[in-house]
Amino acid sequence: MPELLEKLSFYLDFPFVRYAIIVGVLVSLCSSLLGVTLVLKRYSYIGDGLSHVAFGALSIAAVLKITNNMLLILPVTVAVAVLLLCTGKNARIKGDAAIAMVSVGALAIGYLLMNVFSTSANISGDVCTTLFGSTSILTLRIEEVYLCVALSIAVLAVFILFYHKIFAITFDENFAQATGVNTTIFNLLIAVIVAVIIVLAMNLVGALLVSALVVFPSLSAMRVFKSFFAVTVASAVISVVCSLIGIVVAILAGTPVGSTIVAADIVAFGLFYSISLIQGRGV
Amino acid sequence: MFKVVLAVLLAFAALFAKEPGGKEKYDIDISRMSGTMVYGQVNQMIMYPSKYLGKHIKMKGIFSSYYDEQLERRFYGCVIQDALACCSQGLAFELAKPRKYPEQYPAEGDAIIVEGDFDYEKDEGGGGFPIIRNADMQTK
Repeated sequence: MPELLEKLSFYLDFPFVRYAIIVGVLVSLCSSLLGVTLVLKRYSYIGDGLSHVAFGALSIAAVLKITNNMLLILPVTVAVAVLLLCTGKNARIKGDAAIAMVSVGALAIGYLLMNVFSTSANISGDVCTTLFGSTSILTLRIEEVYLCVALSIAVLAVFILFYHKIFAITFDENFAQATGVNTTIFNLLIAVIVAVIIVLAMNLVGALLVSALVVFPSLSAMRVFKSFFAVTVASAVISVVCSLIGIVVAILAGTPVGSTIVAADIVAFGLFYSISLIQGRGV
Repeated sequence: MFKVVLAVLLAFAALFAKEPGGKEKYDIDISRMSGTMVYGQVNQMIMYPSKYLGKHIKMKGIFSSYYDEQLERRFYGCVIQDALACCSQGLAFELAKPRKYPEQYPAEGDAIIVEGDFDYEKDEGGGGFPIIRNADMQTK
């Protein structure tokens, strides 16, 4: 134990480890807050779809040699999120079909572009890092950390300020509309926030594992807690703790950061599921 | 509460931890670090080489060599690979006491430990790459 503490303390002296922990905590906090809404609205898989869109946009940015790829990734992902979440019942291709189409389409086009217009000597490395986020969280620049902090504060502020409206839209959009809530604007707001979180979370766990950050903490909290507020708070705590455990284990043991965080989320889900069984709440 | 969280973190880490840390003998001892940390540290050296110029470094990895036909020069590297072997990171090195290649060098993929002074070699195109100079190489 003292050896582990010494090793952890040694690693914490490195600024890039501290950056990883700051970004990890903020991203997991934001994703878990919106995760509750997305799970309840039956949009659990949107994280996966949007992260693949972000991967496609990243490939285009690489081909066009855009230095600050966020300038392309963020607007493209936001635009697709708005299309998926705001077209609702009027869309000709709805819900899961639209997400599936966008998800695999963007992934395929992204990989195709990276291969045809290769700008790097290590394509498999670039693709692997983006999809699994192997270690990208440990390669953040200070500007990226500031951007993440600013966007996370914006997401948290919007969630806290419009908590009641988000609550209303989550459970019954028609009723919320009837009571005077501008559901179009708030759905748009949720879509933008979701896109921002997905883009930020790609650095933490990679494009293929983003959904886990959105889904697992919310589902774990829902096993034990029943009110929207309690589930939201518990989801945030579970997500932050799992991310911290994941990052610390990954740097101490040399395991990939993203999958270690997701493994911690799975363990937490198992724990909360067991608690719900003991409490007699069933599945 | 903080102690509980810390205890949980350490319990998880104990399940996976590989090696205890050693005593400080180098400016940067990458050989003590886990694979994930090595990746992050080497990335820092590549991104911000000026911070590390002249530092005495020790690292372990696998031996790799490459012959550049344009420069007519053979490069030697200490490479760290991840599980999928797609996100390799490594540093070139130049031995203090030159050896004959390939007789006196390890085979490609052999585990090695390299220590020496960090430097940044500029090339004609305006770019460059980090390299460990005055290096001593040992096979594990």
